[in-house]
Amino acid sequence: MATVVIMPRQGNSVESCIVAKWHKQVGDSVKEGDLLFTYETDKATFDEEATINGTLLVTFFEEGDDVPVLENMCVIGESGEDISSFASQKEDDISKKTIVQESEVKEQVVETTSETKADTTKISPRAKNKANKANVDISYATPSGPKGRIIERDIDILIKEGIKVTPAASETYEQGSSYEATGIGGRISTIDLERGPISELTDNKGDVISEYEEVKTTNIRKMIAKAMHNSLATMAQLTLNTSFDATAILEYRKMIKANGEALGLSNITINDLVVYAVSRTLASHRTLNAHNMEDYMKLFNTVHMGVAIDTDRGLMVPTIFNCDLKSLDNISIETKALAAKCKEGTISPDLLTGGTFTVTNLGALGIESFTPVVNPPQTAILGICGLETKVKVVNEDIKAYQSMGLSLTIDHRAVDGAPGAKFLKDLCANLENFAVLLAK
Amino acid sequence: MPKSQFIDPFEIRKSGKIKFKDIDVNQYSKSIEEEKSNFTNDQFMTIFKDMAVIREFESMLNAIKTTGQYNGIEYNHPGPAHLSIGQEASSVGQAYLLDEKDYIFGSHRSHGEILAKGLSAIVKLDDKALMDIMESYFDGKILRVVEANRRNDCVKELAVSFLIYGTLAEIFARETGFHRGLGGSMHAFFTPFGIYPNNAIVGGSADIATGAALFKKVNLKEGIVIANIGDASLGCGPVWEAMAFASMDQFNKLWEGAYKGGLPIIFNFFNNQYGMGGQTNGETMGYEYLARFGAGVNPDQMHSERIDGFNPLAVIDAIKRKKQILLDKKGPVLLDTITYRFSGHSPSDASAYRSKEEIEAWMKQDSLLTYRQQLIEAKVASDSEFEKILNMAKEIITETMKLAIDTEKSPRMNLVTNPKAIEDLMFSNEKIEKMSDAKPSIILKKEDNPRVKQIAKKERSGYKDGKLVSKNKVFQFRDAVFEAINDKFYIDPTLIAYGEENRHWGGAFAVYRGLTESLPYNRIFNSPISEAAIVGTAVGYGLSGGRAVVELMYCDFLGRAGDEVFNQLPKWQAMSAGVLKMPVVIRVSVGSKYGAQHSQDWTSLVAHVPGLKVVFPVTPYDAKGLMNNALMGTDPVIFFESQRLYDVGELFQEDGVPTEYYEVEMGDPDIKKQGSDITILTVGATLYKALEAAKTLESKYGVSAEIIDARSIVPFNYEKVIESVKKTGRILLASDACERGSHLKDMAQTISELAFDYLDAPPVVIGARNWITPAHEYEDSFFPQPSWFIDAIHQKILPLKGHVSTMNYTDNEQLRQNKLGV
Repeated sequence: MATVVIMPRQGNSVESCIVAKWHKQVGDSVKEGDLLFTYETDKATFDEEATINGTLLVTFFEEGDDVPVLENMCVIGESGEDISSFASQKEDDISKKTIVQESEVKEQVVETTSETKADTTKISPRAKNKANKANVDISYATPSGPKGRIIERDIDILIKEGIKVTPAASETYEQGSSYEATGIGGRISTIDLERGPISELTDNKGDVISEYEEVKTTNIRKMIAKAMHNSLATMAQLTLNTSFDATAILEYRKMIKANGEALGLSNITINDLVVYAVSRTLASHRTLNAHNMEDYMKLFNTVHMGVAIDTDRGLMVPTIFNCDLKSLDNISIETKALAAKCKEGTISPDLLTGGTFTVTNLGALGIESFTPVVNPPQTAILGICGLETKVKVVNEDIKAYQSMGLSLTIDHRAVDGAPGAKFLKDLCANLENFAVLLAK
Repeated sequence: MPKSQFIDPFEIRKSGKIKFKDIDVNQYSKSIEEEKSNFTNDQFMTIFKDMAVIREFESMLNAIKTTGQYNGIEYNHPGPAHLSIGQEASSVGQAYLLDEKDYIFGSHRSHGEILAKGLSAIVKLDDKALMDIMESYFDGKILRVVEANRRNDCVKELAVSFLIYGTLAEIFARETGFHRGLGGSMHAFFTPFGIYPNNAIVGGSADIATGAALFKKVNLKEGIVIANIGDASLGCGPVWEAMAFASMDQFNKLWEGAYKGGLPIIFNFFNNQYGMGGQTNGETMGYEYLARFGAGVNPDQMHSERIDGFNPLAVIDAIKRKKQILLDKKGPVLLDTITYRFSGHSPSDASAYRSKEEIEAWMKQDSLLTYRQQLIEAKVASDSEFEKILNMAKEIITETMKLAIDTEKSPRMNLVTNPKAIEDLMFSNEKIEKMSDAKPSIILKKEDNPRVKQIAKKERSGYKDGKLVSKNKVFQFRDAVFEAINDKFYIDPTLIAYGEENRHWGGAFAVYRGLTESLPYNRIFNSPISEAAIVGTAVGYGLSGGRAVVELMYCDFLGRAGDEVFNQLPKWQAMSAGVLKMPVVIRVSVGSKYGAQHSQDWTSLVAHVPGLKVVFPVTPYDAKGLMNNALMGTDPVIFFESQRLYDVGELFQEDGVPTEYYEVEMGDPDIKKQGSDITILTVGATLYKALEAAKTLESKYGVSAEIIDARSIVPFNYEKVIESVKKTGRILLASDACERGSHLKDMAQTISELAFDYLDAPPVVIGARNWITPAHEYEDSFFPQPSWFIDAIHQKILPLKGHVSTMNYTDNEQLRQNKLGV
């Protein structure tokens, strides 16, 4: 019997996925466990395997297509089976729905005909708020409320199926035009706007430079590129460098290493210690544990710590939620688990959002200082640098010690240099007196 | 309609004649010489002194109002000053024999009565009692001002200064006035001296004073009550109602033991010949002699008499005789006390309606001249002694005025630094289980009461084993109201209940069935069909220290008690700056089936008036809990009930209605059904219609409704509703009140403000049509029906696929109806 394969839903926030590659073509025989297709969200890449044996009878989408989750992707069965009942219903659904809604509106309008076409868009405050939050273009909504008003359910439909715009792009985006949507969650981003409407975009295609091997940019790479560019393009970033005496944390780590196993503790790294200290220090520096929404600042009450992980696919930043409420051991365990999932590519996209502050670590690679790029709308990112031997004067003696560098980049639009410097000062003090911090 | 009284048709149809006794007119004729056996020279002079103080006090106000100064001291008093210059002999004569246990209630023209009664009480109270009163009143705040600024040689002198200062500071709206300046000239009083509220509504004191007399009678308190009202107030219905109430036969024929006998009240009409510019005798009334009216009220003719209020001794003589009548339990009494005001109705009155000759003729007989002359002739005192008294009066009034207008020493309430000063006084919000520690007067033990026994057999939840319990077996709404009130009767000895049929019949809706068996007449009785008097007496009963629950049967009858409900009941707690409490519950019911004048939900009218609490429970659990709360509190509560629901059982509380005591907090709405797509907020019986509508919404349209029963209207905590609206984004409000001006519109507007950003559509109100309530057969077209809810939601909030409306809720229809006012 023919079996349909759907586009899986990877996390609650994912509305659609891009088909990255078909590993089987129509007509190929398929065994249980064979790779069927690879698909990407904006944060990670996933593989879909066959769960039955048979022949790939039909595929409904091509590589590069943005497919709503739970949509039919392909059918596996015996050759000659009728597959018409599985055809993707998406297009039909939308048009049908639109027709139904129009007729509904007509039914109501019997009494209030003159009011359907108003000059300004009628939208309920609730629907408007929801649209703003989701950055959807309300001009695409089909009003189903009284008197031609757009109400909440119309926005819900739009969010599910309609056109969405990133916050940065929403300012310049002209409602009604069509752009390729490559931003987060299939949103139209500033990059898309720069590329121009879809018709122009197709004209530019085909320019291939043959001297070079053409390596198709993965979605993750595109994502990173956009995020980095967008970050630097829109923010006034300022990096502050400092260093601290790492004696205390090194000793503490030595102690854990020696006794940790016996105590049932995980292998706590220097990175974990810094993340722990940062999560505790942020409480008194709320403008750094924040989102800059331009018109206002969201100052968070807890710390959702983004931890940058280097993977083969590129940089990924999973989030340790409520980091300031978690123990050092838990932070360590969770970081390791998140890193492993990122590297496997199985991280849930839900865990790649929601950070309020980010820590990135190039220390292992011997970097002395660098300029981390802020992950918007966060207001700051801390870079951890490598250990260096330094000397200092103690009681007129020159003493060597291990120093570690910290590079804090802040969004100067939201935070001034001085608060950033104060945060670093407090952080250094906490790291240099780590035992005291633990007691707090 | 007690069965013990046989109405014999032979007796009723017999021919005969009603005979009236003669009514005395100014029969007092004693000379000073003859009165010397009754008064010492000092007493003769005290009477003059009190009159002189009042004259100077009123002259001072007159000078301020008309010339902006008194005795060279400038002051502007923008508020009212209805002066009694000319009427001093009548008020001093009346107060002479009264002590602090005797209560007087007055009118807008009562400065003289306040001073006269206060001065008389000061003579009768000993120094310790006086100091206790002054020290404890507002923690001695007023006393401190007087002590620091006036030299007084003795406690009584201090008390006189205190009385004049407290009254004047009150008139000048000072925080050091007797009621922090919140009563003012027309509502000044001081209960520790037996001076009870004066009233700016003509005749307003008649029924309130009757209530105070009822309090004295029911609680066996000493003292008499005098309602001081003007001649013109005889044109007011509530004055008549008060006299009808006070002269009920049952006091003599049905009340028993210590409670038997007439009410201790004098309706004293200070007959100064005018009501505003209307001349009562000769123009606006037809009585010729006001005293004639007593003859129409009862066989005792209310012991009515006209007395000469220009002669203080004639008034004292009358009060002495009338007080004895009241102590003999033969009240009520009517007095027509002749007097004349030399000043106009108010200082702005140019007296265009009367001749100069008339005023001069009365001024020639001014009691301050004639009584003084009589005393000189009778050699009680020499002329110079009177001059001394007049100078003393001028000195004390001048000094007191200086003190009362000194903003440092007599500050005004600061509503800028203390913006909640008045807000805090609107409700007393106290919980007092019983207003007295006396033993409640009861006939039957609670457990022996037949109704209590019957209720004990009932199912206290509306469902048993998942099935509806039959009406006859279920603990009904009426049982819940009964239980709360019945329980309270055994706890609070001051609690009384009355109204239009409360006793044998058990109330028109059988709520009180069973109370007759347990309670004597002095605790539950039928009143005349006098809504104004029913509420007015409850006001007087409450502010005197008792707790009353009175019933008006139909909400539609509230209009008959308009002044009492709108001006008296809600105002006295705040106007007394918290000195008075008002533990009064008014039960009204919203009817159906009885047409235009018996089916209205008037919650909106009472909700509009500051100072009233308004509740409308619609389940037995809420009814008992809210009635318990109302009867525990000290604030006036308008308690709405729906006649459609008297027989419903408890359908929402799984464990049914507790037998023990519990309270439902006023202002706390209750979520009767959880839902997610639309909130429906109901007031009153419409809850049950909303539940039906919710079923259809759910089954037919997949819309899940959350239903909130407001339960209370004032106070009202919106938080629960706003939370619900944040969740659902939509709200429909419904009640049986006519939609225009419905309080739901007020609620909808408040919700719009508080939850605007969460709303997916404007809040929509459905109510009854803006028509007369038609006959029962048409009520489906008048009161909101379940289908109306769905129509309104479909047309105004959330179009429902496939729904076909029967009601027209479009904009054009709304505009059309409003244009026509229908």
